Amino acid sequence: MLSRSLLVFAVAALELAAQTVDRTKPPQTPPIPSYKLPPVYETKLPNGLGLVLVEDARFPLVTVRLNFRAGTKFDPKDLPGLAEAVASLLTEGTKTRTSRQISEETDAMGGSLNGVAGADSLTISGSTVSESLSRLLTLLADVTLNATFPQDEVDLYKQNRIQNLRAERAEPAFLATEKLSETIYGSSPYAHISPTMESIGKLDPKVLAGFRDTFLAPNNATLLLIGRLPARAGLIDNVTQLFGAWPQKQLPAAPDVTPPAPRRQIVLVDRPGSVQADIHVGRSAPTRLSPDYFPLTVGNSILGSGANSRLFRNIREKEGFAYDAHTEYITKRDAADLAVVTQVRNEVIEPALRAVFTELESMASTPVPADELTNTKNYLSGIYLLRLETQDGLATQLNTIQTLGLPNNYLETYTTRVRSVEPGQIQAVAKKYIAPEQDAVVVVGDASKIGDAVKKFGAVTIIQAE
Amino acid sequence: MKKLAICLLFASVISLARSAEFTIPVESYKLANGLRVILSKDNAVPVVTVYMIYDVGARSEEKGHTGFAHLFEHMMFEGSQNVPKGAHFATVESNGGTLNGSTHPDYTDYYEILPANKLATALWLESDRMRSLAINDENLKNQKEAVKQERRLSFDNQAYQTAIVDVWPTLIFRNWQSSHSLIGSFEDLNSSSVADVSKFFKTYYAPNNAVLVLVGDLQIPEAKKLVETYFGNIPSQPQPKRPDLTEPAGLQARTETYKDPLARVPAMVIGYPGPKRRSPDYYALNMVDAILTGGDSSRFRLDLVKGKKSVIQYEANLGWPFANALDYRDPEPYAIFLLYNPAVTPDQMISQVQNEIAKLQNEPIDAKELERVKTTMRASWIKELQSSHSRALELAQYALADGKPELINTELDAMLAVTPAQIQAAAKKYLTADRRAVLEIVPAPAGGSGPAAKEDR
Repeated sequence: MLSRSLLVFAVAALELAAQTVDRTKPPQTPPIPSYKLPPVYETKLPNGLGLVLVEDARFPLVTVRLNFRAGTKFDPKDLPGLAEAVASLLTEGTKTRTSRQISEETDAMGGSLNGVAGADSLTISGSTVSESLSRLLTLLADVTLNATFPQDEVDLYKQNRIQNLRAERAEPAFLATEKLSETIYGSSPYAHISPTMESIGKLDPKVLAGFRDTFLAPNNATLLLIGRLPARAGLIDNVTQLFGAWPQKQLPAAPDVTPPAPRRQIVLVDRPGSVQADIHVGRSAPTRLSPDYFPLTVGNSILGSGANSRLFRNIREKEGFAYDAHTEYITKRDAADLAVVTQVRNEVIEPALRAVFTELESMASTPVPADELTNTKNYLSGIYLLRLETQDGLATQLNTIQTLGLPNNYLETYTTRVRSVEPGQIQAVAKKYIAPEQDAVVVVGDASKIGDAVKKFGAVTIIQAE
Repeated sequence: MKKLAICLLFASVISLARSAEFTIPVESYKLANGLRVILSKDNAVPVVTVYMIYDVGARSEEKGHTGFAHLFEHMMFEGSQNVPKGAHFATVESNGGTLNGSTHPDYTDYYEILPANKLATALWLESDRMRSLAINDENLKNQKEAVKQERRLSFDNQAYQTAIVDVWPTLIFRNWQSSHSLIGSFEDLNSSSVADVSKFFKTYYAPNNAVLVLVGDLQIPEAKKLVETYFGNIPSQPQPKRPDLTEPAGLQARTETYKDPLARVPAMVIGYPGPKRRSPDYYALNMVDAILTGGDSSRFRLDLVKGKKSVIQYEANLGWPFANALDYRDPEPYAIFLLYNPAVTPDQMISQVQNEIAKLQNEPIDAKELERVKTTMRASWIKELQSSHSRALELAQYALADGKPELINTELDAMLAVTPAQIQAAAKKYLTADRRAVLEIVPAPAGGSGPAAKEDR
């Protein structure tokens, strides 16, 4: 009887709610919920190999990352693209497996296995259904320890990398990113974003093996496993069997990557026939370990992250200059850069570039209003949650911690640190890093159509796209 | 010994894919106004996806209005009665969420992904624009510019893309509804009026022409209550007609050359009109695609990239380029895009691809290779189901195209049930040179140093 009347009451309340909703205002909702990360277990093998295990039992899958501090910043000056080539070719043949066998074995376990080089790290990424994990680890150990860089695979890699590079060089975004990076980083090893035709030509099995022998060492590596994992003791035994006898190595010192002092330079990359001008405006910025990082992250987000940012609202929605206008704050381990990116039609290059400068100046000259700040903090806190939904998302976050040398509590404290940023701190970092006086300006477009307009902003260096 | 291991894997993964822990919960119902609603609960991470799909896409456009469905999609973000211009973006992002919308040949979708306790926020936004979109000249003018900029950015200023969006559909389709450009011409975009926008809105953006999918950390009774509150009294409209997409009979093979001033490496699209969605041949051709281009040990990679050293990059699927096996609604092709070695001629490239297909037609696939392909297919299916967004997308497609969202739990089995004989038969029936369309994209730099263009054949 009692339960029945409660039920009636509940239904009545539902109907009442449906009738009285106020559509004129956004619904009142509770604050963004907190979310406790699954526990992260960390240990080290005696040879120094770091091991990070995260149990996530929702899906019968395991995501694997073997991360080395061995990225493109370690490329020799005359061999840009070496780390990238090593990463690609590790899975193209070992002492006991051909490239074909590796791909067939990987596919037969519903898995994947491939190497990628970033600026600071070389990562071998894999995934598999849970019950094939030990087979995937066997394969991972084989490509890590026994890759042979067969001559025919190296030749094919070179042939195709040259064609891919030609295709990339036809893209305005590639040309702009390349030139801005060179302009910001000068002679620092962070300056190059890709190989050159010449450097690809110099690759051979010996030089590839040399890089591998130098950097792929247990004391330079962390193995990350996320997913539905077997019992921990057995898993650690398995990893020890495969990687335990791998000898430590003396590692070379990291190169000096300090970027030059930022200064205003304007470069126009002439790409005849362009129907748009790609604009990249940027400079060097603090790393994630700097006290300026969180204030600048919040300030950068207000300026150019998402569809509610100032650049999107003004450059796209108000002025209709562009489809896309955003900022990129890219933090490497030992340096970082911050850039505005937009693509505008040729006729409006001058007002568009002025509008970009106005937005940058305004971040430095005026404190951020309280509601805009709260909105952006909510945005960053929510996006943080969204990124953790998949194994791959969590793996990427944990891999970044390894690559950039961040503290273990980085993810746990991220939201709190975002929330603690104050308007005065944002304005202070904006004066240092967002005010555009020392920004490099790179424009990729048809110089015959936009050259005169770009020259109104100062002395312009014009270079050819090809 | 090795064979035994593979058999064990095969058996165990099948059972996993079918096991209870893998069933995606699906609860579907209809509001009085015809809005179909699908709820799927997963409390692992406090995130919810709100996914709204409308049964209208670029193939519903009328002559003189190419690109209109996409222009309209942009208008959906420009405000409604209670949501001022700009507030859609601001409200989602200031509540910690992300959003987007996209236009496809046969549907248009909109989504918000938010912290789970912000569900009402997304429902308020989606319902307000379905109920009362703000259609005015200022917004229209502004979004015409944004769309034209999008066309310049994603197509006109990129190698290959103009050929793919404007030319390829004219080769593989002959019914204008399918063969016209999805992004549209500047001329047609300019000519669109506020009256066109209002008419399109009233015709297609009605609750009875839409499916609402909620996936994630939901409390089901609470979610149902909110859906009724926000959407329950939006009036329905006469059910719009699907466009007549019938292709004229008497298909002939076609080859055309497109001189691309922005390309530096030759490319090619090869396609064949495909079968009916979810017919036995559809599953067979989906398997053909997985055999040719699925994993690292696919035939294209082993035979063409590695063996012949001709192909540099490849993409292919049922419905390529604007659809895939999931949202495929016939008529659609099976199509392949290749970036290939300039030392290889277009004719050599075509015959290498046709030879790979001939192998499928002439020899039954061996059991070990098929098992490997199926394992890869199964694993990528499971991986795809991890995010609430991709689960919502799958549920929405099965609801819209098939009226059966619960197919999300059984469709993998149908895809894996294909036999070697079915693969051979489908390859013989569909992938023949006499039904083939080819678009050769030839680099033709402005300086004129590219290879001489060939005439259409």
